[in-house]
Amino acid sequence: MAAIELAGLTKDYGEVVANDDVTFSVERGEIFGYLGPNGAGKTTTIRALLGLISPTDGTARVLGHDITDESDLLEGKRDIGYLPDSPSFDEGATGRDVLELHARIKGDERSEDLLELFDPPLDREVREYSHGNVRKLGLVLTFMHDPELVILDEPTSGLDPLMQQRFAEFLRAERERGVTVFFSSHVLGEVRRLCDRVAIIREGQLVTVEPVESLLDRSGKVVRLRTAEPVPFERFDPSSLAGVHDLETSLDREDGAADDSEAAFTECTFTFTGDVNALVERVDGIGLLDLSVEEAPLEDIFMRFYGAEDEVGAERSPDSVGRDESEDEVGDEQTHGTARSSGGGDDA
Amino acid sequence: MERRDPAEVATMLDLARYDGRRRFKGSVYLSIGLTLLAALIVWIFPSFRDAMDMDELLAAYPEPVLQVMGIRTMATLEGFLAVELYVFGWIILLGLYLAYSTAGVIADDVDRGRMDVLLSLPISRARVVGEKFAAMAVPIVLVNILTPIVVYVGAPLIDESISGADLLAVHLFSIPYLFACAAIGLLASVVFDRASIAQRVALGVTFALFLVESLLEGTDYEAVGAIAPMRYFDPNEILIESTYAVGDAAVLIGMVIILLLASQFWFRRRDIS
Repeated sequence: MAAIELAGLTKDYGEVVANDDVTFSVERGEIFGYLGPNGAGKTTTIRALLGLISPTDGTARVLGHDITDESDLLEGKRDIGYLPDSPSFDEGATGRDVLELHARIKGDERSEDLLELFDPPLDREVREYSHGNVRKLGLVLTFMHDPELVILDEPTSGLDPLMQQRFAEFLRAERERGVTVFFSSHVLGEVRRLCDRVAIIREGQLVTVEPVESLLDRSGKVVRLRTAEPVPFERFDPSSLAGVHDLETSLDREDGAADDSEAAFTECTFTFTGDVNALVERVDGIGLLDLSVEEAPLEDIFMRFYGAEDEVGAERSPDSVGRDESEDEVGDEQTHGTARSSGGGDDA
Repeated sequence: MERRDPAEVATMLDLARYDGRRRFKGSVYLSIGLTLLAALIVWIFPSFRDAMDMDELLAAYPEPVLQVMGIRTMATLEGFLAVELYVFGWIILLGLYLAYSTAGVIADDVDRGRMDVLLSLPISRARVVGEKFAAMAVPIVLVNILTPIVVYVGAPLIDESISGADLLAVHLFSIPYLFACAAIGLLASVVFDRASIAQRVALGVTFALFLVESLLEGTDYEAVGAIAPMRYFDPNEILIESTYAVGDAAVLIGMVIILLLASQFWFRRRDIS
């Protein structure tokens, strides 16, 4: 029996089909990433799996329990941990109050260990919590009853890079213990570091389900560099360096007034899908002022590898990647941005 | 702590106790406030009684005012308390407060995203509604503890006396009334996603019911007032005539059960978004 089985899951809101005939399975004991740009329908799937919203068509089973049957799903919830994209607790309660409530209802088998790893200030009221502390409390609550399956919606947004690292290690250790992890993300780097398999959803439709390795080969990085001296155009031309796409250059004219910007540049941006070593070789010795290598925005990857069926995804600027699905919290937007750039930094 | 088996969990009122504890402090303050109001009313009664003929004063009021406030007499402490404290303080103020406050219990959690976490627990939606409603017993019971003591002790201090049994009865019979007002709020709370809307609707409906019941009394449309909880709780009758309408209390309890079941039914079927 698979941990999660979706069979034609559809949620039609009238003006938008948030999930359109989504079918895939998550096997027991794997870390499964659910990847898609914001607004793609990831949260809709997750909320349906937890019985928070009912599908307009199709169904799904979690740990063998039918999500459309409340009492059947209740049996399953004893072995499920869930962390929403922006977890929220009673403002006037202390972390400990919330923890004790959860302990009484679903049991507590390992909160002490978890509190050593993620240490929210339990004796303070939740209203005083930072974004990161709320998330830490959420993580403790998600895992405290030792669930067989955890469902995490954008789990690392709001965590600082150190906590993200700790969280990644923790998830891998959980997998070793046999826990099935299903998490959504719009950050490719996060998914590729953690997952065994990935499902990609876009505009409510499942694009692909594949092992993470095959995705690795096909995604790209955005490279930005700036130099003191003009660099000949040929150095990063797609014909001389394999894997360069969408090369855009500019020349700082004050420094190299005599040069033609068609032949040389001091600043350039391109997407790179080739061999990193080849790139490093080309970058070596050109007098860099600045260099950044970041994950390519998901929209660009969709464009390149899965084609754009319409222009909605294509026209989105890279900036929109940081926007939260609910679009309600500015703080979330910022933290998503952090998650993204640190993911890129890791790979660079 | 060990994991419990489902049967054991089902008998626990964990959520009700958690919510009730969180309501305790505010309810104590509310109770103290109403007790001060009660003390004030008892304290000013003698100067009213001595300064003027209260029945003459009443005659000066237009009939609709007497009707809305359910005024019978203000010449006795019982009549004065029934109007100033129990009609005004309990039926209107507390009734509106409980409708308003209960309207937040589900809608606010949904509104702020807390319901997602709550429903990820192995607890049914019907139980969430039931236990959160049960937690409203904390303010409802607490406001009825301190006030009668203060009134009972205060009456001899102004050379009046009041029947302890009647006083006890008026508070006891107010409990199903206040639960009925809370149940109106509960229904609004599951129907509307936004707490602010649910609360406004609950306030509006409760106040409208109060007006309908009191203004239509004695007209051809009096029957319409039968849906209002206010019809089934009459402090005047209890304090002045020592008549305890047990049947009316049963009607209120019936209303509470119907509204609670309707709320649970509605909440089970809706999407949490």
